[in-house]
This record gives sequence, structure tokens and C-alpha cells, in this order.
Amino acid sequence: MSLHVMVVGLNHMTAPVEIREQVTFARDNDGSITRSLLRLDGVEEVIVLSTCNRAEVIVMTVDLETAADRILGVVGEAHGLDEARRREFFYVKPDADAVRHVFRVTASLDSMVLGEPQILGQVKDSYRHSSLLNATGPVLNRLMHRAFFTAKRVRNETGVGKAAISVAYVAVELARKILGDLTDKRVLLVGAGEMAELAARHLMSQVSRPVTILNRTYDTACALAVQLCGAAIPMEELDVGLAEADVVITSTGSREPIIQPDRMRVAMRRRRNRPVFVIDIAMPRDVDPQVNDIDGVYLYNIDDLQSVAQENLGERRQEAIRAEKIVNEEVAKFMAWTKSLDAAPTIVALKDKLEEIRIRELARLNGKLSGLSPEERETVEAITRSIINKIAHDPITFLRRSGISPKRNVYLDVAQKIFRLNGGLPEEFSRHGIETEEE
Amino acid sequence: MDLLFFKIAIVLYLGASLGYLIFLIISSGAQPWIGFWCAVGGFAAHSLSILHRAIFSGFVPLATPFDAVSFFSWITVGLFLMIRYRDPSPIFGSIVTPLAASLLLYASTLSYQIREPIVPILKTWWLPIHVVLAIAGNAIFALMATGGLMYIVQERLIKTKRIGRLHHLLPSLETLDTLNRHGLPFGFFLLTIGIISGALWAGSVWGFYWSWDPKETWSLITWLAYAVMVHQRVVLGWRGRRAAVLAILGFGLVMFTFVGVSALLGGHHAFDNRPRFMGPLGL
Repeated sequence: MSLHVMVVGLNHMTAPVEIREQVTFARDNDGSITRSLLRLDGVEEVIVLSTCNRAEVIVMTVDLETAADRILGVVGEAHGLDEARRREFFYVKPDADAVRHVFRVTASLDSMVLGEPQILGQVKDSYRHSSLLNATGPVLNRLMHRAFFTAKRVRNETGVGKAAISVAYVAVELARKILGDLTDKRVLLVGAGEMAELAARHLMSQVSRPVTILNRTYDTACALAVQLCGAAIPMEELDVGLAEADVVITSTGSREPIIQPDRMRVAMRRRRNRPVFVIDIAMPRDVDPQVNDIDGVYLYNIDDLQSVAQENLGERRQEAIRAEKIVNEEVAKFMAWTKSLDAAPTIVALKDKLEEIRIRELARLNGKLSGLSPEERETVEAITRSIINKIAHDPITFLRRSGISPKRNVYLDVAQKIFRLNGGLPEEFSRHGIETEEE
Repeated sequence: MDLLFFKIAIVLYLGASLGYLIFLIISSGAQPWIGFWCAVGGFAAHSLSILHRAIFSGFVPLATPFDAVSFFSWITVGLFLMIRYRDPSPIFGSIVTPLAASLLLYASTLSYQIREPIVPILKTWWLPIHVVLAIAGNAIFALMATGGLMYIVQERLIKTKRIGRLHHLLPSLETLDTLNRHGLPFGFFLLTIGIISGALWAGSVWGFYWSWDPKETWSLITWLAYAVMVHQRVVLGWRGRRAAVLAILGFGLVMFTFVGVSALLGGHHAFDNRPRFMGPLGL
């Protein structure tokens, strides 16, 4: 009868995308799934979490064995999954595993893109949704607050979410390391292809000046310029463009490099050596690799950016090892807390004590009861048992319920003192008989 | 007891250096608060130490080599703590705090006894004007050289496409070049009026403004070096790596002029020989 945290769910590692698309808890917008989960026997608190890569139910239950099946039943019914598929794709994690899972998910250690920052917000939204439905209670409230705290620690103390791992982000980050603040920088697109547009879009969200577009066919440049709210210039103006731009993205279909070292050197003189970041995503290359040797010019092609992204991912994985340690620490703290919640040991001790008293008193009166027939004897046993059960019922119910109230420690303490459950040594009982003294 | 605060400052600066070192080796995400707060504490103790010296000597505490080096270190750390709010990248501290610690350790080997009676030429307001200006200039050059060193490393990393932890820790090239761009005119200005105030002081004491004393000669060489730097930067548009290299070379000259000349070449800035020419240390 003690309290357990449990997670039932599926994610990108256990279920293919068709299943993940099917299990979205979309119908839970009105809280109907949360409410039907809450109505299940032994399920006391519920949070439903759904993102594009995972669908999970976090519950507090007093019945670890059977609750999982009942939850799977509700979830499966809501999404039209038969029994076999439920078994195939869902995982069930109890207690410390469940807590660790929730902490890892919130800290983005379980994400498809390790360390991606969106998950924290999604978890927060789910939690808010559930608490607005009054589906959360002391245990899950605390669980989620510890999860957010853990995520914060992981973010502050490790580099799990730091290094850029997509090519577009790597380019922006490098641009920042070279040029500092990007808002007043100029971007030049050489070649108006789709690739250039893709590469530029992310950069442009950082830059407030209009982008300049240069293309062999001027009309294409103009068309893209309209789309990107930029300005188009003809190909002959390349040298002017190079002299002005701080970030140059090239993507023409030219067979020969169009930016050679000499051309770049001239441009650098015209721009008084202001540094320039050149990104060459064309294949074959638009920029002669030797351009990188010119002082103040930083040339990266698409492979360079990709290998940086790859390396950064490795770095994140390294940091994730440190993050797991933080998670383990926090899990241990949380589990210690749930243990302190547990009224079970006190209840067991109380029952044992009452039973002991009953047996001892019967033994004491053994002489007087010797004249009873076996049936009568059985009746006495039954009566005494029934009496102590009746006496114990209310305190035990009270302790069980108080297990999650803020004053639970006081209640447990008082109960142990009143019934002398802690320091009550056996010899003491035999000396004083049943008249246990109150302290 | 007389150097208690000074000793605390050394310990805290060493602690800060260690804190930053540990930060560089193991952590990457967390802010290096140990190093930073040790540096702040060290700076506070250092300030008290200078205040104590001022009360003790009854005048601006700059009249001994000990005080000059200590003051140099103090201004450098102060400037570092100031710019830390503009650029919070912690790696700066990992260069500045060891520099401050080693300067103080060096200072502790120097004489800090104030000779009684204090030579009259040191009991003049020319002393603080000349020394504070010259040393503040030096401190700016020290930070420029620190920035220059980081610039060269960061530039190398970006050029050779080694985008690792060090790259992420180092500030952007733009930030480091801005440090050079803003530091150069300030430092050069302070150096210039530092030299002029020294000449005026000499003129008021001895009647001649310039005597080709070794310190004066080397100051002039340093001044010329920074004048060239200003010229390259303003007229030729030198920046980035070249400016960084010049900042490092220039600071080498500064350090030689500041601590090397008196020790190796003597002259009237030195304290140990020619007591007739007893003069202040500094540029």
C-alpha cells in the first residue's frame, strides 16, 4: 500500500513514427483521458505528456502490479491500439526508473536531438494542463518541480544544450564568433538557389539589414530578393558585394571557382581588412580553398560545417555523461523523500504490536480459559482479533491518508509515540503488561 | 602584520588562478564562480592593502618598487573586473589572475621599506600624477596583450576549423579586436602624458627635462612602438591578427621598461644605486 511513481509510454526509440502519430493524446485537450485515467483503481495522480517524439503517462499509484495494465487499457482504447501492439511499443517503468525517466526526459537527455531545448517547455505545458484538471497531487507536484530543477542544473552545469548540432546553427554560431553581434552585419548571397535560401534564412533571423542577392540571371536574383525582402544586384557587381558583405554564402552552379584569392585580396583591401565569413555550399566549389589563407577571411564549406556539427554532437554526448550523474543524484534525493512519505512501516509496526498484545493477553489468561471447548476458544480468538482490527482501523486509515499531507511527518511521529512503536522494547511491554505509558 | 592584506590578496589571486584553471580543465557549462569571487575578494584585500600603505606612509603609496608593482597589478585586476561585465567570458580571468598573482609575488621580493626621511622629490604631487598615469597605461597594455593572445589562439582555431571546447570558451574575434581598438588610444594617451609628466617633474626638480636615463630611453622606445601601432591601425587599417601580435610585442617592451630596466640598467628611476638621483619607479 505504499506510494509509487510509474511511467507508461512510448517514444522514438520504442515505437515507429506511424504508432507515434497515432498515440498523441489529441483527445485529451478537454481532459477526458486524464480524467478517465484518474478514475482507475489505485491511480491517484496523473500527468499526460505528449510531444512529437513521445507519448507518456506519469502516474502516482498505490498499486504497482495492476495499474499498468489498466492504464495501458485506457490509452490503447483511446487510440485504437490492440493488446499486442500495446505490449510491443509501450514501456512501463516503476519507482526509481520512472523518476529517472521523467528527469532525463525533462533535461532533454532522452530526446531524439540530444539537449534540444523545447522539451522543457513541453513538459511544463503538460504539467500545467494536468494541474489545471486537478489531476496532480503532492507526489507528482514534487516530482515535476524536482524535474525542472534537475533540468536547470543540467543546463547550467553541463554543456549538453550548448554546442550547435545543425549546419545552419553551426554557421550562425561561427558567424558570431568571428563577427560578434550580427544585427548590423551584411549578408550577401552569391547564387539564388534553393540551398542558398535555406542557409540564409536562419542567418537572416539574426540580421536586421536586408540581404543582398547576386545571380547570373538577374531576374532570379530579383525574385528571391522579393521573397527575402532583400536587394538584388547583377553578377558584375560581385566585387562591390564582396567589399561590403560580412557574411558571403555562395551556391552557384559554376564549374570554376568564382572567388579566387586575388579577387578576395582586392576585396579585403577595399573593406580595410574587416573580417569576412565565407560559406561555400556549392558543389563544385565556388570559392578557391586558398582564400582561407588570406588574413581576415574565414572560409567554410558545407563539409566543414557538417564536421563541426558532428564534433559538437560528440561534445554533447560527453556532457551528457556528466548530466546523467546529476540526474542520478536528484533521483536518489527524490527516492529518499518518497521513502519518508511512506506510512507503511508505521502501520505494520502498529498492527504487529496490537497482535502481540492480543496473543500475550490470551496466553496470560490461558488458565482461566482452559475450560472452553475448541469452538468457544475459536470464538474468543475471533472476538479479540475483531476488537483489535476495529481499534486499529481508524488510525491506520488516517495514517494512510496523511501519507501525502504536508504534516505527515508530525502524524507519523505522533502515532509512533502514542503507540510506542519506536523505543518500545519487548522487555518493557512484559514488565508493564498492556498499560503502555504515554510520554 | 604590515603586509597582512597584501598576503591575503596573493592567496586569493592564487585561489582565483586555480579556480579558473580547474574551470578550464573540467567544467564547460558552469560559470567559474570560484575563480571570479576569489578575484573579487583578492581585489578587495588588495585595495585595503594599498589603503593601508597609504596610511602607513602618509602619502600616495607609490614611492617604492613594491608599491609600484602592486599598484600595476591592482589596476589590471580592476580593469579586468570592469570589462568582465561587457564580456563575461571567463577565460579572460584565467590569464589576468595568474598575471596579478605573479606580479604580487614578484612585488613581495622587492623592498617595501620606506626610507626615512622620504626623499623630498617623492613628496610632491608629481609622484601620483606621473606614476598613476604610467601604470594605468601599462595595465591597459597588459589587457590588450591578454586579448591579443586570445585573438591569435581563437583565430588559429577558426582558420584550421578546430571548433572544440577552447573555441567555445574564447570570446569572439570581434570582441577581442574591440578590446584592442578601444585600449590602444587610451593606453597610448596615458603613456604619452605619463612620459610628459615625468619630464615636467624632472624639469621642476633638476632643471632638465630629459637626460637619456635608461628608463627614459626605453619609455621612448615603447612610446614609438605604440605610436607605430596607432599609425598602422588608424592609417593602414591593421586589425585582427596583426594588431594582436603588435599588442603582445608592445607589452613585452612595456614589461621590460617597467621591471627590467631598473634591475638591469640602473638609472635615476632605480632605487639601489646613485642615491643622489633617487627617483620614483615607474616609466
